[in-house]
Amino acid sequence: MSNSSSQAEMARRYFLGQCTGIGLCAVALSLLESGNRVLAESNTQAMGLADLPHHQPRAKSVIYLTQSGGPSQIELFDHKPGLPKWAGKELPPSVRQGQRLTTMTANQKQLIMPARTRFQQHGDSGATIGEWLPHHAEVADELCFIKSMVTDQINHAPAMTKMLTGHQIPGRPSIGAWSSYGLGSENRNLPDYLVLISKMKRPSDQPLYDHYWGSGFLPSRYQGVKLRNSKDPVLYLRDPDGLPRHLRRGMLSGINELNQRRFQQTGDPEIETRIQQYEMAWRMQTSIPELTDLSDEPESTFELYGPDSRRPGSYAANCILARRLVERGVRFVQLFHPDWDHHSRLSSWCVARCRDTDQASAALVKDLKQRGLLDETLVLWGGEFGRGVAGQGKWNSPEGGRDHHPRCFTMWAAGGGVKSGITHGATDEFSYNAVVNPVHVRDLHATVMRLLGIDHERFTYRFQGLDFKLTGVEESRVVTDILA
Amino acid sequence: MRKRLLTWAVLSFSTFVIASSSAAEPIRFGRDVLPILSDRCFKCHGPDETHREADLRLDLNESATATRDGRAAIVARKPDVSELLKRVTAKDADLRMPPVDSNRKQLTPREIQILRQWISEGAKWGRHWAFEAPRKLDLPDKNTHPVDFFIQRRLKREGLDFAAEAPKHTLIRRVSLDLTGLPPTLEEVEPFLADKSPDAYTKLIDRRLKSKQYGERMAMWWLDAARYSDTDGYQGDRTRTNWPWRDWVVSAFNRNMSFDQFTVEQFAGDLLPNATKEQILATCFHRNHMTNGEGGRDPEESRIDYVIDRVNTTGTVFLGMTLGCAQCHSHKFDPISQEDYYSLFAFFDSIDEDGRAGGGAKPYLKYKSPHVKPIVDQAQKVVDERRRTLDKQRREAKPEFDKQWYPQQRRRALDDFQAWTQLKATRLASVEGTVLSQDSEGIVRANGPNPRQDDYRFIVKLDKWPRITGLSLEVFPHESHTDGKLSRGANGEFILTDVKLQVRRGGGSQLEDIEINGALADVERKVSGRNYGKIRDTLDDDPRNGWTTETHDAKKPHHAVFALAEPLQLTADDELNFVLMHRSTIGDANIGRFRLSMTDQGGKAVRSLNKMPLERLAVMLQEKGKDANDAKLEAELFEQFLADHGAYQRAKQEADRANAQLSEVKGLLNRELNVMVLSERKKRRQTHLLERGVWNKKGKPVARSVPAAVLSRDAAETKTRLDLARWLVDAKNPLTARVIVNHLWQLCFGAGLVRTPEDFGLQGELPTHPDLLDWLAVELVEHDWDLQHILRLIVSSRTYRQSSSLPTELIERDPDNRLLARGSRYRLASWIIRDAALHSAGLLNPTLGGPPTRPYQPDGVWQEMFMGRFRYQPSQGLIQFRRTLYTFWRRSAAPTFLFDSAQRRVCEVRPRRTNTPLHALTLLNDLSLLEASREIARRVLAAETDNRKRTDLAFRHILSRSPSEAEAGVIQRELDRCLSHYKQNANEAKQFLQFGQPEKRSTKQPIELASFTIVVSLFFNLDEAISHE
Repeated sequence: MSNSSSQAEMARRYFLGQCTGIGLCAVALSLLESGNRVLAESNTQAMGLADLPHHQPRAKSVIYLTQSGGPSQIELFDHKPGLPKWAGKELPPSVRQGQRLTTMTANQKQLIMPARTRFQQHGDSGATIGEWLPHHAEVADELCFIKSMVTDQINHAPAMTKMLTGHQIPGRPSIGAWSSYGLGSENRNLPDYLVLISKMKRPSDQPLYDHYWGSGFLPSRYQGVKLRNSKDPVLYLRDPDGLPRHLRRGMLSGINELNQRRFQQTGDPEIETRIQQYEMAWRMQTSIPELTDLSDEPESTFELYGPDSRRPGSYAANCILARRLVERGVRFVQLFHPDWDHHSRLSSWCVARCRDTDQASAALVKDLKQRGLLDETLVLWGGEFGRGVAGQGKWNSPEGGRDHHPRCFTMWAAGGGVKSGITHGATDEFSYNAVVNPVHVRDLHATVMRLLGIDHERFTYRFQGLDFKLTGVEESRVVTDILA
Repeated sequence: MRKRLLTWAVLSFSTFVIASSSAAEPIRFGRDVLPILSDRCFKCHGPDETHREADLRLDLNESATATRDGRAAIVARKPDVSELLKRVTAKDADLRMPPVDSNRKQLTPREIQILRQWISEGAKWGRHWAFEAPRKLDLPDKNTHPVDFFIQRRLKREGLDFAAEAPKHTLIRRVSLDLTGLPPTLEEVEPFLADKSPDAYTKLIDRRLKSKQYGERMAMWWLDAARYSDTDGYQGDRTRTNWPWRDWVVSAFNRNMSFDQFTVEQFAGDLLPNATKEQILATCFHRNHMTNGEGGRDPEESRIDYVIDRVNTTGTVFLGMTLGCAQCHSHKFDPISQEDYYSLFAFFDSIDEDGRAGGGAKPYLKYKSPHVKPIVDQAQKVVDERRRTLDKQRREAKPEFDKQWYPQQRRRALDDFQAWTQLKATRLASVEGTVLSQDSEGIVRANGPNPRQDDYRFIVKLDKWPRITGLSLEVFPHESHTDGKLSRGANGEFILTDVKLQVRRGGGSQLEDIEINGALADVERKVSGRNYGKIRDTLDDDPRNGWTTETHDAKKPHHAVFALAEPLQLTADDELNFVLMHRSTIGDANIGRFRLSMTDQGGKAVRSLNKMPLERLAVMLQEKGKDANDAKLEAELFEQFLADHGAYQRAKQEADRANAQLSEVKGLLNRELNVMVLSERKKRRQTHLLERGVWNKKGKPVARSVPAAVLSRDAAETKTRLDLARWLVDAKNPLTARVIVNHLWQLCFGAGLVRTPEDFGLQGELPTHPDLLDWLAVELVEHDWDLQHILRLIVSSRTYRQSSSLPTELIERDPDNRLLARGSRYRLASWIIRDAALHSAGLLNPTLGGPPTRPYQPDGVWQEMFMGRFRYQPSQGLIQFRRTLYTFWRRSAAPTFLFDSAQRRVCEVRPRRTNTPLHALTLLNDLSLLEASREIARRVLAAETDNRKRTDLAFRHILSRSPSEAEAGVIQRELDRCLSHYKQNANEAKQFLQFGQPEKRSTKQPIELASFTIVVSLFFNLDEAISHE
């Protein structure tokens, strides 16, 4: 092996070891490779773990429509026709079973507040959906409702952290980071895991911490990259005004040439990697603005997703972006819509959040289906917990709202190998306890992993001497009943 | 074959490099055998009784060698009858250990061979290396450098030797960065290169250790470990004022406080006899954890979290132990039981705290910081400078007003001036079915269905658009409305919950939100809290508040004025959308009739309901003749003119920022700040073991004690936190000194002698040079825990001074540089990159301590996360250029310009070092680096006239060396490219230079300045500039 080719060989090996990009390693790799036989295969495959997937995946991508704050299952999906006759009465202790309350309502009587909405059955499946979600009703037969979701956290940040990382204390990788780490991406010009947050005017009481999409102890390249609605969709993406592209190009060539010389002098393979990363940075400066500019979408797209989709940064516009990302092979797309924490005035506050999200969520399912992408894309909708049947404030006043409730809530899934038009699990007559087929957060995680072709038991990462997995140490099971 | 497989190949290869050295030696239990047993067996046959299988323990000699049913796992000298060996080599997969479902890897032939040899040699039991007391081997003679002795001994065994010494310019750079976090200045490099005396390097080390920047550099290490932050974290993420503790840390390092004292004061300064304020301040170390102030959270649950955090931090930072594992169950690998864990927990369980966050996170120390005054003085200086600039701008704008604007407005006033222009809708729409139509008076009426809630959309397109600065909304009563009032709703009143202004440009598909930042109404219902009343609440997108005129006369028209944040300019193809949302809780309150108008008058004109100045001017001219004048009105119009004057407004914004900064820091002057510290409750809490680590599942009571496996102590000597601290730094404690010298080693080589600085336990890595680690650990204790003594030993070694170039055979043999046959080369921490850039440019503000600083970061990052609750305002003037150590650290949104930084949520002691395109983008576009580039460009333009000399000087400022001929060629080419572009496009050069602090902007030589700025930025992005070489 001549000196320079052995340096290159080591650079390549080193790169593979230290790698580096944000899921863009494959590009760098292909550049580094240029004809190398040993690793030629890598050029055509996503960079993931060698032993993954464990089995044939049903879903290639995930779009997780995170509704932060805890939407009320009682108003939206979990219809309890018997509630009106309990209106204003105290919740029977046999139902409550000592459930912990937040300190906001712990000292008040738990008086039942019936749903503030009317319900109808929809589609062939006869799914019950509250009247605040008329567009959901149109796709009822595509959805799989899980009405028996259970978590063990009652406050927002721990519950959301649990929902997204499997543990209530920050520090573990998020589900998107695990997916990116295990499976890599099919796209060479975009990160594996992207996060989109609805732009809203109202200050929300629940901040969206970046550990929700963090990589925890996994290398930081697996963390979600936030696509912002601003001139800089990714931080520092945009060059300063007055610095034209060709000067930037020249400057990058200069950097790379000088770095190449340094590499020859020092032999440090990290420099080769850096050269590739600067090239990728250059390409991202083009690929990301192309992605986020929706002006090439036909008018029909905006009609489908609703008027709000014309407003960049809105949840509806982000739904369109999510579809564009999945079309480009991105592994995990996570939307966040804040402000579902309706402790008061459900019938104005909750309606407002329904209007923001209803049409676009349904449109996304329709759109993926008509493009033939729904089969390979798992869409998830849900918050970090549900809301209690007792009224917060006066049960019979329009001011009434609901407190947090961990023992049952509703999520829905669509596509990606999930049965359509079914309802899984059920709660008791008060929508208080999940009594049929409870699905714990960790079971949901195990199921998502299964759909992505991963056995959650075997998918571990060693950190500080322990083998961590997304589903944690407690027993979790794949919800096979919902698998198509 | 894919990535991870290859990584393995490289890793196992390097493991081989290490292991091969021991092939000829007898097997050592702690180093060779225990890691195998721990990794493959202890999960089911270790200290954790809840997961123990077959009642077999392999972590204890007695149990492993005990005969049960005629068999024993280990029979000394008889490998063939030892059940352990039989089972790990069993052919039958059902019998073979570890079982497949345990997810542990099978043993390799080499590992089996180690076990066999060990049993053959007598199965001599021992302890894990890190729990044995460190031994200090004798050196051959007193001139031998201990570091070099151990490193070279190992190199020799490998048939290797030290690399050549690094060039002097590299050496000064390396040691300066390691000891102060800053590169040398050009003025320091040249004398050092010229100094041929034998002690030139030693003198350099001394200067660095004595400099104030040493303490700052060490503090950054400690702040990461201490998870220091300026906010609580979690919901609310309230600001705290614990930064005087950060200044205490800097000062402690600068005083070279011994590490044992440093530890004792931080753990138990409050318990020392006659504790000083500073000693109490030190205990903030154990209050730097996150605090959760989320509404509805049980404070006791939070308090338990904090105590847990303290135990885990103690474990990671001082003991190198993953104690956290024992929170829920006994440690699976290390000899720490769950009871041990809660016995440590008990030391921190009786702090006089109640789990609250925000302003209620007692106990506090009231503390006046001496470091505020210099910052206030600097802030005052910025205010003074900017006020002068503002006055100048004002003076300069006056002639333009007098000669052009004012006469023009007078003509306009005479020419039938209308303040408001009614808008004629191109299209009217509603969401829920209200039918809207507009009459000839411009009034829009609601007909048809009367839904409970509805949004009205008023769409208008004009051939010719004036500038728009504000909109007026008039609401009219009508006899057809309920009781002849303002709406068709239940009581004839209306509730407007929100308004939105949007623009659709050029017939495109997208709607752009236009910000409205002012709203006034003639009347509104008086309300408190979140309720229906105020017009201002129509701007917040919250349906639970909004505008109503209820309680006022509903049979009269009412009106409101909305002011745009920025004047809006539209063209003929553009379409304006105004949305009126009626989404109140009860609803049935949609406006019945309204009219919309717009104006082009800026400033106060749309921020008051009074007649606009120009309207009044028109009246006056009509009444008093066209030459009439009114000085007061003219002054008002001048203000309106200035409100639209670009240069003035920019200067005003900059002055406003300086004022805001001044009042912020002035507020801290002579104020007693609340610093979170430790103090003991009067009545001690009874600590319980918490089952499965759950906060309210109390198990058996436990008393304060220390883990015996590390160093046992009588109960009488483990009563207080002070006892715990003294135990940590006891000369016999086998862990603390090792862990700390390992940190110091990591500071200088980028990686420790133990590559898992957080885990010296059984699952951690073995030291690459155990005897050296031990030698340094004992040396530290013997030298009164003098950190500088150890640092001096390390950086004075030949090992440290080696060149970091990688010969090809070493890349193959030792890619991770575990053998240290070369210097280490790695990317600098991002905070050092920023500090280094500012320092090379001469921008760095050397002030020590004081309130946090906010370096540049892109707009909107905090707003996005907190939906507008927090806004980030970068610091102004000199204060912008303080060291990164002082950066305001918001726990939930770490500074964006720092990549791979510690997260400051829990303690972190191992650097992250990744290499991604996002880092490249940050270094290319971060304003701090651009401003440093421009500053160097400005300096070299002033210092030299020849371009080659200029680039050469700039290069030396950054890299402490001159470019080679070949490098100079590339640089020249890029400089010429920039110069020729900007010569053709001088305006772009000016535009490019419009960033950063106004005091640092320059209008001189824009073409050259822009071009050199780009070239200097190129230098800052070179791998060499961001690497420890």
